[in-house]
Amino acid sequence: MDAESARTPLIAFEAVWRSYGAGDTQVHALAGASFDIARGSFVAVTGPSGSGKSTAMNILGALDVPTGGAYHFMGEDAGTFDKPRRADLRNRHIGFVFQGYNLLPRTTALENIELPLIYRGLPGRTRQELAEEALLQVGLEGRGHHTPNELSGGQQQRVAIARALVSEPTLLLADEPTGNLDTERSHEIMELLTALNREHGLTIVMVTHEPDIAAFAGRRIGFRDGRIAFDSATGDAASC
Amino acid sequence: MLMQSILLALRSIARNKLRSLLTLLGVIIGVAAVIALLTIGGGAREHINAGMANMGSRLIFVFAGERPDPSAPVINEAKPLTSAHFNGLEKAIGSQAIVAAVATTSMRASFGARSVSAQVTGASENHFLQREWKLGRGRLFSPVEAESSASVCVIGSQVSKALFGQESALSARIRIGPAHCRVVGELSARGSSFSGQQDMQVYVPLGLFQTRLSGKSQIDEILINAPNQAAIEPLKAQITQEMRNLRRIGPGRNDDFQVEDMAEYIQQTNEFIGGITAFLSAIAAISLLVGGIGIMNIMLVSVTERTREIGIRMAIGARQRDILVQFLTEACVLSLLGGLTGIALGLAIAWGVTTLMGVHFAPGLADIAAITAISIAIGIVFGFFPALRGARLEPIEALRHE
Repeated sequence: MDAESARTPLIAFEAVWRSYGAGDTQVHALAGASFDIARGSFVAVTGPSGSGKSTAMNILGALDVPTGGAYHFMGEDAGTFDKPRRADLRNRHIGFVFQGYNLLPRTTALENIELPLIYRGLPGRTRQELAEEALLQVGLEGRGHHTPNELSGGQQQRVAIARALVSEPTLLLADEPTGNLDTERSHEIMELLTALNREHGLTIVMVTHEPDIAAFAGRRIGFRDGRIAFDSATGDAASC
Repeated sequence: MLMQSILLALRSIARNKLRSLLTLLGVIIGVAAVIALLTIGGGAREHINAGMANMGSRLIFVFAGERPDPSAPVINEAKPLTSAHFNGLEKAIGSQAIVAAVATTSMRASFGARSVSAQVTGASENHFLQREWKLGRGRLFSPVEAESSASVCVIGSQVSKALFGQESALSARIRIGPAHCRVVGELSARGSSFSGQQDMQVYVPLGLFQTRLSGKSQIDEILINAPNQAAIEPLKAQITQEMRNLRRIGPGRNDDFQVEDMAEYIQQTNEFIGGITAFLSAIAAISLLVGGIGIMNIMLVSVTERTREIGIRMAIGARQRDILVQFLTEACVLSLLGGLTGIALGLAIAWGVTTLMGVHFAPGLADIAAITAISIAIGIVFGFFPALRGARLEPIEALRHE
């Protein structure tokens, strides 16, 4: 990391608005939310449903764009990227982990993990090697040829994490990654994420409802009514 | 990337075998019908051409009637050809070429209690008979018999079988209409053909035909065998002039007869068969349109079913183009599979039909290549809209889809 990129935060939300509809029926999912996230952070995002946290995650993941304000990612104005450029940004820099795993059914674990590399145009041999490596990283060696329905919930989530890791992302976005798991599996997944954050410096932003899961993160951001209600890095009630 | 898409497509099709098969029925039936028609039509054309060439590519035909004119829909009843015309032509060009006259009618031939309906042809000359037919047993008419109206006949194999069973017909006296003739020869069987029952022929000398059977001097056709290819056109001109004189056609009036050669016949027949084949194939091709709509329908279902998959792929970096290519490839692979199955089925049908018809089975490689290309094109055309719908999905919406 050079000096310039060390000073620039990885993520900068600058008074981001995301509005739907028009006129009297207009709804604001985000209403001027601002925060920065530095490289190597592990951030837990909390808030009641409808608070705007999911919308914020979509914009962070370049799945959606702000209708007002600016979203800077790695110093670039990612909020203005067109669709192909956003697809490329997701492919190279962002890994997604979902509550429902979102693996392709009837497709083996290794093939699921290879998927992001196909869209990067890597040759088959390279894809397989990298996928095997990612599988090893999440502790599922030997399970590569199982399809999702032959794996437990915890194992499926590990495959999903391996798929997110295989493209060596800059940012990992996890949307309630332990929501479908029991306490023991949840803690195993959290230990895996924590290790990735500590040992590889992977930046993680994670949505969660559960305080004991949020406790694994170094920083907590709370959303309410489309704004930041709480940020452990800057003190309570930052922008209410 | 393309290879990956094709594998993905094959896997997706294999997962829904029955559904894919039902979807493809339209394409399969359409392609099979087109290929079968084209192959059978080609075989028939080849067969007829070979038959005509066998009769002699140097043959010139003269028959009564004006050349059909689309601008003059009323065709005058033509004066028939008679022995006078035949004798006149014989006198004028007999030194350069063999001239023969034939007349044909349908009559009952009988022997004892057995009888059969036969195609009776009176011929002035057995030269043409010799070229066209293979003699099984006995002999053809002698020149003296041919000219002297002798009561002799040469019969086709089916006539022989109907009247005599397995026994020899030679030297037997059979009744043809009001006349009795002695069988001097039997023709070998040609087999049934779509052009009629060729083995139901009875040949008699023209003189006998005119005096005893038809009772008229009318003849159907005069045939001239040119000595070589180069002589055809000059002979045709000479024949036309001679016929105008014989039929007393004044200057400036149209011919009331036609002079044609084998090449023209072959060309006309080819145009006719080609036209029919193209017309029937075009009707069969409508089924391809229906098949294409079936593919569009199933691809729309597939895109809807896999909305979540599209969302996942987009989240991890698939561009709209990648999704478009994936579903377009699937539609093409699907219709190509249908096309190949249809080609195999069509060839099998054509093989069966050509074998039954006794026609050469010669599939056209160009036809097969063209229909393969058309199959892929159907996939592209009818798969495009569903694929575009998939590609235009919003990743967030698609991920939320249950």
